[in-house]
Amino acid sequence: MFQNTKCECGHQNPPDTLLCESCGKPQTEVAEDAPLEMRYDGMARRSQKRNPNPLDLVWNFFSSVKIAIIIIIITLVGAAIGTIYPQGNTAEYYEQTYGWGGKLYHQLGLSSMYDSWWFVGLLVMIGTSLVICSLDRVLPLYRALSKQQIRKHLMFITRQKTVYTGPVEGNAEQWVQELAGHMKRRRYRVHTDGTALLAEKNRFSRWGPYINHIGLIVLLLALLARTIPDWKMEETIAVRDGETVQVPGTNYYVKNEKFTVEYYEEKELPDRLKNQERPKMYKTEAILYQCVQSCGEPGIDPVLEPVKNYDIIVNHPLSHKGVKLYQIGYDDQPLLKAVKPVIEDKQSGKVYGPFDLPMKDPQTEFTVGPYSLSLKAQYMEFSLNDEGNPVTLSRDPKAPAFIFMVKGPGIDAAGEPYMYFPLQKDKERFRQDVINRDLAPKVEIRVDGMENVSFTSYTSYLLVRVDRALTYVWAGLGICMLGLLMGAYWHHRRIWLRVDNGVLSLGAHTNKNHFGMRADVAWALAQMKIEVDKDKLDNGGYNS
Amino acid sequence: MSWVDFSGHAYLVAFILYCVAFMFYVIAIAGQKWSNRDSKHHIARWGRTSFIVSSAGLAAHLTFFFTRWYGSGQIPTSNMYEFMSFLAMAVMIAFTIIYAIYRKPLLGMFATPLAVIIVAYASVFPKDVQPLIPSLDSYWLKIHVTTAALGEAFFAVGFAAGLMYLLRVVDYTRKDDQARKQQRWIEYTLYTIVVVVGFISIVFAFRGAGYEAHFTQENISIDTQGQTITNTEQVEYNLPPIFKPYNSHADSADSFLGLEKLQIETPSWMKGVNAGRKLNTVIWSIVAGSLLYAVLRLIFRKPLGAVIRPHMDGVNPSDLDEISYRAIAIGFPVFTLGALIFAMIWANEAWGRFWGWDPKEVWALITWLFYSVYLHFRLSRGWQGLRSAWLSVIGFVIVWFTLIGVNLIIAGLHSYAGV
Repeated sequence: MFQNTKCECGHQNPPDTLLCESCGKPQTEVAEDAPLEMRYDGMARRSQKRNPNPLDLVWNFFSSVKIAIIIIIITLVGAAIGTIYPQGNTAEYYEQTYGWGGKLYHQLGLSSMYDSWWFVGLLVMIGTSLVICSLDRVLPLYRALSKQQIRKHLMFITRQKTVYTGPVEGNAEQWVQELAGHMKRRRYRVHTDGTALLAEKNRFSRWGPYINHIGLIVLLLALLARTIPDWKMEETIAVRDGETVQVPGTNYYVKNEKFTVEYYEEKELPDRLKNQERPKMYKTEAILYQCVQSCGEPGIDPVLEPVKNYDIIVNHPLSHKGVKLYQIGYDDQPLLKAVKPVIEDKQSGKVYGPFDLPMKDPQTEFTVGPYSLSLKAQYMEFSLNDEGNPVTLSRDPKAPAFIFMVKGPGIDAAGEPYMYFPLQKDKERFRQDVINRDLAPKVEIRVDGMENVSFTSYTSYLLVRVDRALTYVWAGLGICMLGLLMGAYWHHRRIWLRVDNGVLSLGAHTNKNHFGMRADVAWALAQMKIEVDKDKLDNGGYNS
Repeated sequence: MSWVDFSGHAYLVAFILYCVAFMFYVIAIAGQKWSNRDSKHHIARWGRTSFIVSSAGLAAHLTFFFTRWYGSGQIPTSNMYEFMSFLAMAVMIAFTIIYAIYRKPLLGMFATPLAVIIVAYASVFPKDVQPLIPSLDSYWLKIHVTTAALGEAFFAVGFAAGLMYLLRVVDYTRKDDQARKQQRWIEYTLYTIVVVVGFISIVFAFRGAGYEAHFTQENISIDTQGQTITNTEQVEYNLPPIFKPYNSHADSADSFLGLEKLQIETPSWMKGVNAGRKLNTVIWSIVAGSLLYAVLRLIFRKPLGAVIRPHMDGVNPSDLDEISYRAIAIGFPVFTLGALIFAMIWANEAWGRFWGWDPKEVWALITWLFYSVYLHFRLSRGWQGLRSAWLSVIGFVIVWFTLIGVNLIIAGLHSYAGV
């Protein structure tokens, strides 16, 4: 169907334009007295195209604010459901702790909801909607605001939300010029065309929401980018006092020079908390090393060069070239550091040794008197699994165990295996003598006296973190905040007026805060000796 | 007298001044209709007096804040008492800012009672200065908590104005379904506020009487090696036990109406720290609030909404609508900055990740999403008046859940701020 879209002022408008792009005359039949729909200055938008093709349909779907709101509400409800029970535990945990509700929660996949395809999908949809909604609106708005006509159609002026009409005496052009002077003092940009005037201020605030949306898009992209391999790494390391540990996934090593905990003194605590050990501060005096030679070569100690000395405390991570080390906790349970055992020849009663046996990275060959030991296996926290095979439960020496191949007097020339538990409690619990069978009556490896045992007092837990997307996250948030400030704390205000045969018609529009808009108009009129009650300027309609 | 003790007195002064200011604001607005007076003159005079009194209250409140800070050596925003009293102060600051824009005394009529309730609510929690745990020991504690609370305070002002709008426009003479639905929901909102007041009153009543009951609770858990671990825990009640802790026995309990003998057990599926005591408190609040509500209904013999409605006649509804929206629009960027951006920066410093889907974080995000929905409805879909006012009420319920509910029910990493 052919539609005549030419306005009476002679301007050719695109189809579905609400207000003439040039003079502002309403192009569609709407209720006569209601204030005009001024959103995007009445411009036609791409999403309003007729006979849409499939691509247009997608565009139209995502360009709808209503759809955007629905997606946000679904996301909001979904996010709330995810907080009912803690996230990320095992199926047994949920069933044991929360009963059938917990079981169902886990079965529905709600226990790892924030990584689920549908939740991520919702975030992607929000992102898409942000892009399309913004493009669909910002382009027509930009066109409308960059070519504004000064003299508007009377119907456009008198159907604004803030309106004044009344007689004006004297020369109309002079009157308009004088008013223009006053408006400039209020930091309006004023354009006049004979007896017509357009005053405008803070147009930039109209871009606020779009800048805010750009920020959010950057943020969402940054979050997606974290799924790229190498962009994100997160691992916890335990570093005992005096120990040096490689920072996983990097060429760095970190040494825990000294770990200290400071507790609150009794007098600093309120009565309710007296007699409690309440840590005030704990820190790891750390040295960060870089490996410069023989890195990762088995059997050779790497050559390390110190890069940085830093006291790592909670809230003050060590940061070096994108790698961050956070103090996340500590353990004050003493752990075995090293023992100095001796070997006794049970038959002769002779004792050989002692020799050094550190729990971490011990050497593999030992020669003690007539005996030679070769280390075959080591377990930090020894345990037996369901099949009865030895396993280690952790990397902390909580129940260390060693298997040596022993050669020496009275022992098979090929060597015989000997299992050694440095801690007495483990020795009894796992029945060392039973395990060692024939060898047990021949030799014994044991520690004589506590002076031959050394413990570490503290284990410092450090979180190693690499997050390359972080810069973009902060950038996105910064842009988002900038847009919010622009849009929320400044208001785009425009005043149009024309004087026809001694009658002033004034209309004013703002995207928000009509209260302030009316105050500005009342002020301007007062400068011209026209006193009006600012509430009387309200033409009804919406209060956006 | 120590600085911290002095701050407590300043707090009481602030509370009293807020109460007086509230009465003055009511006189300023409702008194316009009184005979033998010029309404413009009346509102100007009483409006000014009320504002002076409420500002004096805020000054006392600020004195409380800074003297406690000085006395304790740490910013008083680190436990529930301190946070809630700060929130009340932020509400008054937000009120002052909005008042500077609109200069309408009616603003005070809803901001002051809100501050009064929050100030009293704060006093329910233990007041002693609690030493900081290491992860709270950061200048971000000052920045994050204060900005987030200020944002929430603006939402609170938006809520109060929205509720007043509803009270102003809902027609109690109409009997059709639509009107009845509105009336019922307003009544329910007012009932909820009465329950909060009931909670505060009941806590103070039994605290004044020095009520105490002690329980020993056995917690049985199974560790990873399949061994059963039994912990016993002492639980103290300051309200008579309608519900006693799960799997517990009373060591001592003051008697009150024989309730100490009743002792219904808290269901086992209610987990969390002191679940029994919290459930008991909730039940008491509902009982006390409902009684209070029943008494009010008996006195007035009509819904509370209908009681308040005639006093709102002098108020312009579109002013209320505008103020409610404006408060939210001003608060939104502040909330974004404080509760999300600063929170993320701090989380990144303290815990090594800027976002971890911790319940408190999720609920801050939910609050933010909700208010962004509010703004989109208002700006793009033209939701005004009634619908917008209802959204502001729902929004505040979400804010409240984020602040209190998450700590009481869900806990998570922010549990140290709990009770």
